[in-house]
Amino acid sequence: MKAYRLEVRFTVLLAVLLLAAGNIALFFSIFPVEGNLFGFPIMYIIPILSGWFGVLILTVVANNIGNKIDTEIEKANEEEEERVEKQEKEEGA
Amino acid sequence: MEETMWRLDNPILGIGAIIVMFLVFYIVSYISNRKSSSVADLYVAGATVGPITNGLAMASTYMSLATFLGITALILELQVPFIMLWIQLILSIPLITIIYGTSLRRMGAFSPTHFIRERYGVKASIIAALFMILVSIMYALGQMIGIALAFEMAFGVPYLPGLIVGGLIIVGYVTIGGMAGASNNAAIQMVIIALMFIIPLGAIMRAMGGDGWFFPPLLYADMVPAMMDAMPNFFDYQFSPKWYFSLLGLTLGSLGLPHLAMRIYTASNLKSARKAMVWFAFIIGLVFSATYAMGFVGVYATQTQGLTISSADADKLTLILNLVYNPEWVTALVIAGAVAAGLSTLSGNLLAIGALLSQDIITTLKPSIPSKTRVKLGYAAVFAGGIISIILAINPPAFLVVSILWAFGLAGVTNAPLIIVGVWWKEANKYGAMAAALVGGILYIIVSPFVFPGIVLTGHGVTDGMGLSGAMLAIPVSFVLLIVVSYITNRIPKLQSTLTTAEDHKLIERIHGWTNVHPKRYNSTVGAAITVVVFSAVAIWSLFPWNL
Repeated sequence: MKAYRLEVRFTVLLAVLLLAAGNIALFFSIFPVEGNLFGFPIMYIIPILSGWFGVLILTVVANNIGNKIDTEIEKANEEEEERVEKQEKEEGA
Repeated sequence: MEETMWRLDNPILGIGAIIVMFLVFYIVSYISNRKSSSVADLYVAGATVGPITNGLAMASTYMSLATFLGITALILELQVPFIMLWIQLILSIPLITIIYGTSLRRMGAFSPTHFIRERYGVKASIIAALFMILVSIMYALGQMIGIALAFEMAFGVPYLPGLIVGGLIIVGYVTIGGMAGASNNAAIQMVIIALMFIIPLGAIMRAMGGDGWFFPPLLYADMVPAMMDAMPNFFDYQFSPKWYFSLLGLTLGSLGLPHLAMRIYTASNLKSARKAMVWFAFIIGLVFSATYAMGFVGVYATQTQGLTISSADADKLTLILNLVYNPEWVTALVIAGAVAAGLSTLSGNLLAIGALLSQDIITTLKPSIPSKTRVKLGYAAVFAGGIISIILAINPPAFLVVSILWAFGLAGVTNAPLIIVGVWWKEANKYGAMAAALVGGILYIIVSPFVFPGIVLTGHGVTDGMGLSGAMLAIPVSFVLLIVVSYITNRIPKLQSTLTTAEDHKLIERIHGWTNVHPKRYNSTVGAAITVVVFSAVAIWSLFPWNL
């Protein structure tokens, strides 16, 4: 169940982080801020930067962790097969 | 006041650029198509496309004329809220990949509907396929309008001949090409789109005196003070948090788009599909940011430079800016780029229609049809879908982007819940799926202004027309119905014998990579209950006044 829990937690967390990164405007519409950054109003440029670089960084993370989870699931499958084989041998003996 | 006719003075430039572009695409299609001998080749290019090609193809399929022409028009007319609306659309491929794309790729699915058939049975898959055909046609409709506008400007002809000539050329290209041609061409198209959008934008900014012309997507801060003087409310959010919350419906909608998800199934393996997602995010972020800059520059030009663009010409903003500030040959190349943008998305739309009709409906009902006939049927469906979208585009809505975003909402209502819940919750069954797709889909259509103009949730034309308000009601209703109806019917003894529960459990475990079935995996009642409570609250909230 370890790999399963990792898969579920990773998917939920990444989905929430991606939704947040792409919807910063929702947060600013609830909690508006004043001021400028890089010459633009903060409420304009932060959603744009987050919607590009924030999402890009999260996809790199998703790529790495997704591959790792595949490996974990394969490992768990092998362990399970070994356990069943061992159990069948013991019952046969 | 006399309206300006925006078109190339020398139509030969526009015609030449489009002909050269099409020649390249036809050659690539022909070479690719020689390799297409099976249904798998036609729809998912034999699942052999590499990550960079696939990432570019994903971006190209997604970056349609809605980005090239449509959203800039909305920024021109309605400013910053529509930039914020567009930003979250980048989430489509990343969310599809992590939530269900790799699972369906592992299953070997041709299309999302293929998964729905395996998971919920034939009836549910046909309902979903019918809705998906409507989604694809509405999506294609927006592209056809943009193609007509591009041809109108290039050839100096009225809208209707532009639509018919442009539409037929493109439908012919896709019908001949198949997905292999589309994938290779889509990658080329993405490069063309990026170059023909961003470089001319830099030239426009330079002509206006902007200092950041060498990297237009982000470097236009020096133009902000003049914009603030001329139009102090440009950066205002204008709408309430509820409007911004409703944008999540578009995000969910993008998860249900059949032509987009199909790009993941063309990947050579899971690692390649994930790498393609990273490339997609990089490229689409670059082009989207350039689009916001194009919208900003368009408003800047009208507010500070004396440029006048009528509301009827808003969809042509990108082309008009080029016509005003760049030499004609540059505008000709930009028109070719716009056609490439429409072409790549229409390829995806029309191929999805082909797959839906021939694979998911006809072959499902008549499985004995030979493989060659199925391929022929696929080509016929691709062609028919194209012709229908041309006919619908004869009387277009005010903004081309409206029909496209409306399609997002319908996909979010009828397709996304079935796939997401179907992949992650074993209890979901065919009764829940059919109730969700039918009730949710019909509800969404009823509250949109196109069928019953009097029954809408906000009364704000663009918000209702784009399906933002309808999706905020119908998507939660669809999720809740799927979960509640499945939960109840699984416990009715008479219905239990009609369900394929054991096979469903095996399928879910298999597509997540497991070789055995564990009763506790993908079976959380608490997770389902939380989803029902949250989505019920959202659906009720959507019925309260929007105050727009």
